[in-house]
Amino acid sequence: MGFIKLVIFGFIGLTVIYFSVSIYSRSVRKERLEDEFDAENPDGGDEGARDAFVAEGLKAYDASIRPKLIGLVYVVPTLAIGTIVYMINAN
Amino acid sequence: MRKIKMTFRIIVFLLIGGVLHYALPQHDVVRVVNTYQERQDLNDWTRIFWASPDDQSATLINRDVQFIQTVKKRTMLLGFIQRDATEVMVYRNEDTGWGWPFYFKFDTANLQTEADDLSSTAQDPQWAVMTHYGWRNEYFSAFPNAVAIRPIDNPNVTIIPWFNIFFFIALMAAILFIRAMWLQFRERSVDPLLDAAEHQFDEMQAEVSEQKGKISRWFGTWRAKDKR
Repeated sequence: MGFIKLVIFGFIGLTVIYFSVSIYSRSVRKERLEDEFDAENPDGGDEGARDAFVAEGLKAYDASIRPKLIGLVYVVPTLAIGTIVYMINAN
Repeated sequence: MRKIKMTFRIIVFLLIGGVLHYALPQHDVVRVVNTYQERQDLNDWTRIFWASPDDQSATLINRDVQFIQTVKKRTMLLGFIQRDATEVMVYRNEDTGWGWPFYFKFDTANLQTEADDLSSTAQDPQWAVMTHYGWRNEYFSAFPNAVAIRPIDNPNVTIIPWFNIFFFIALMAAILFIRAMWLQFRERSVDPLLDAAEHQFDEMQAEVSEQKGKISRWFGTWRAKDKR
């Protein structure tokens, strides 16, 4: 029962962290894409072209490995707990 | 106001520091004297100083707890500086199970056996490093919980608290990361909203003053024209 409690609350906590990190990472990427476009078009450029550039960049980001790496948020604590359980109880 | 803020900060800092000092592992150089088992009443507020090894134990009013009696080298400054003097220290030996604090300790019986095996006399001492968490308080009958024990040859051993080093690095990284996340959220989500609200307010104000202008002009048509 204690184990189930840990799993449930751990899963809830890690899910909150997972989504926070996902949103943060995407937001940072979006900001960088916007800055990139603004640097290339110092005169401001076309609003539509800017949106298209950012959307394109975010699509590439979604397909890249980076957002998948955020899944480590679930893996690392599980491994850490497994390691602690072994280290504490191994003879 | 500044004083209140300062006091608040100090209290928060002390609370967090207290929790960490209670829950993080510490190492003592000890000589095991004996071990024993004693029935403990658990029906008052000092319950918080005992573990809940399994679900059943949470509802029990009293149960048997194992203890390890030792003679321990005194230390200073959170255990960083060792002294030659010794004191007695009694550890409880309880499973923590899957709950707080997260030691996931299930090998109480093994640890008790190891401690028994290491017990020695003052004439022929066998020193050991005891890993534990928690506080000893005689008035509340609180005991630190032993987590692991390993024999050593020389009592003047240097112990590097690897877990705590790693823990504080991770804590620092987590704080900085949360701060970065908050700043990003504010810059991208809150500030634009505030800007928009401000802009709307400005527009509203401009509209109001324009309306006022209209009304006063309308009133102006009723006023006498320039009196020549």
